[in-house]
Amino acid sequence: MIARVLLLVWIAGWILMAFFWAPLVPVLGETTRVLYFHIPAAWVTVLALGWSMAHSVLYLRRRRMEHDHHAAAAAEIGLLFCVLATVSGSLWAKAMWGSYWNWDPRETSIFFLLLVYAAYLALRGAIEQPERRARLAAIYSAVAFVTVPFLIFVVPRIYFSLHPDPIINPQGKLDMDPRIRIAFFAMLLGFSCLFFWMQSLRVRVARMEHRLDES
Amino acid sequence: MTVALETPMVSTAAVFEARDLAHRYGRRVAIEPVSFTVSAPAVAAVTGPNGSGKTTLLKIAAGLLRPGRGTCALAVAGRDVPPAERRRWVGYAGPAISFYEELSVAENLTFVAETRGLESPATLVAVALERVGLVSRAADRVAALSSGMVQRLRLAFALLHRPPVLLLDEPGSHLDDEGRAMLARLVERERRAGLVLIATNDEREWRLAEQRIELRGRGLGHPA
Amino acid sequence: MPSNGSSSGAAVWAILRKECRSEWRTRYGLNAALLFAITTLTSVSFAVGRLTDRVDLLSALLWVVLLFAALASMSHAFVREVEGHTLTLLRLVASPTAIALGKLLFNLVFLAVIESVAVPLYLVLMGAPPPRWGAFLALLGLGSVALACATTLVGAVIAQTRGRGALFAGVALPLLLPVLAASVSGMRSQWAGGPITAEARLLAAYAVALFGVSLLLYDHLWED
Repeated sequence: MIARVLLLVWIAGWILMAFFWAPLVPVLGETTRVLYFHIPAAWVTVLALGWSMAHSVLYLRRRRMEHDHHAAAAAEIGLLFCVLATVSGSLWAKAMWGSYWNWDPRETSIFFLLLVYAAYLALRGAIEQPERRARLAAIYSAVAFVTVPFLIFVVPRIYFSLHPDPIINPQGKLDMDPRIRIAFFAMLLGFSCLFFWMQSLRVRVARMEHRLDES
Repeated sequence: MTVALETPMVSTAAVFEARDLAHRYGRRVAIEPVSFTVSAPAVAAVTGPNGSGKTTLLKIAAGLLRPGRGTCALAVAGRDVPPAERRRWVGYAGPAISFYEELSVAENLTFVAETRGLESPATLVAVALERVGLVSRAADRVAALSSGMVQRLRLAFALLHRPPVLLLDEPGSHLDDEGRAMLARLVERERRAGLVLIATNDEREWRLAEQRIELRGRGLGHPA
Repeated sequence: MPSNGSSSGAAVWAILRKECRSEWRTRYGLNAALLFAITTLTSVSFAVGRLTDRVDLLSALLWVVLLFAALASMSHAFVREVEGHTLTLLRLVASPTAIALGKLLFNLVFLAVIESVAVPLYLVLMGAPPPRWGAFLALLGLGSVALACATTLVGAVIAQTRGRGALFAGVALPLLLPVLAASVSGMRSQWAGGPITAEARLLAAYAVALFGVSLLLYDHLWED
């Protein structure tokens, strides 16, 4: 209970700080504010993916339903944050560069992650029996685990040559004003805790559903 | 000319041991917890009302299905055989077995023999066909067979690699009197050194067995 | 007597031959796939016309056509087993890895047949400049191997679900995007006269990674 309230206060507080305390990055102007939201969302997307895939592998090795609950929950939450990251990124792109979608490397990467999440959840939705669903979903997750690094590294190479990006992407610079850095890492932490909290809730629901099925 | 292949000299005494074996399909209970031990040489009948899990039990024994709870261990000549390797030691014949309709009877069995890596597949196929009385239909496509013929083919499939364990799920279904006589002869022969489990509700098939494993089902898989 | 264990190679080979024979006897899979590939191809050609000077579009469209053809036809190998209910038979005669490898090789042959028709047709219809054959075929080969690895595994998974064609395409696509990206880039490069080493290495690495992961996962494919 305390933890939840603390988390709420933390995130709310740092959002305020992001607007009133942290300075702007000169190149970005007012759109700086998005980076406190967009990048943590993207980070959670990746975190959730890793969490889901790790539990998929664990399920295949140990066959405990608990791992499947974790894998599925993380995938759902990951999809949510992926959509948030994509949309916020798109809005930022519109504000910065004038168009919502450019297929630049980062946009393409997050879109691919969206596809992977969607495919995983679609697959799960097509299987009714819990053990079979857990097993087949875990298999897919394990293959996707191999694919993701290729997607992240292939894409920049290909799309840089096909669609050279003339606009300097400012996100790469960690050379920020210390206040920005503090606020940013605080939000990163807040978002991560948010993920783990939502994850634990979802896993508890899944456990109860499973117990209901078993009885 | 028939080549008589006798049962192997080496002891392949098989033992099935099930402990608190249970399984469910989603919400539906397939097998209520059951325990038993059967050792070769023996013929055991697995009986029980419809839905009590006879087919499920045989599938678990064959290594086709992973049991939800409990264990079903097979030991051959003292060594435990994990489910992944059961197919080499077990001959399975049941309604779950379908053949490749576009291939002939002989082609199906030859495929099985070759895939299993058996020596002289042609001889083994010929022997198996002879034992089940399908020699005259060897070249016919499976699509053209009657259900009784397909049942004979299933038995041939189970016997092909001369396994020490036979799992027969309702083996007499669709068989005419001659077929049933063939089945009885078959079981008789295996009884000498092998282990046979027959899942059945048919009295004629019970009588082939000397042991009985009774599955207490709730009948037709009523949920808890 | 039970078959010896080191017959995996024989099993894979036997399964491959059986697949080819079954496909040849029924042929509806191959016909449908060829028809689909040619239809897609002619639609593209009709819509876009000749693209002699646009090698970037040429490479992209070639791989889109091949991708569509693969997505439309690669699930066929497993769906046929499921629809014919022959998977139980297969599982009783071969290990999951042998089954999957047999299907993989079959899919590779299948893909090669489709490409041998679609690719020349494409080059002619689209007015493509003559390719550097070594590089062109290397990219085609590597890309096809990666395509086959991914679609075989996904096909085996999807065949056990209630979804079919659309689900297969949606679930396979993310795994195929690296192939698409690297192959398109490489193809363009070879037409423009540049080197393809980076793309070829990437495709090879991806194919190896996919294959390696698949080998670890095949055993888990069928347990019920």
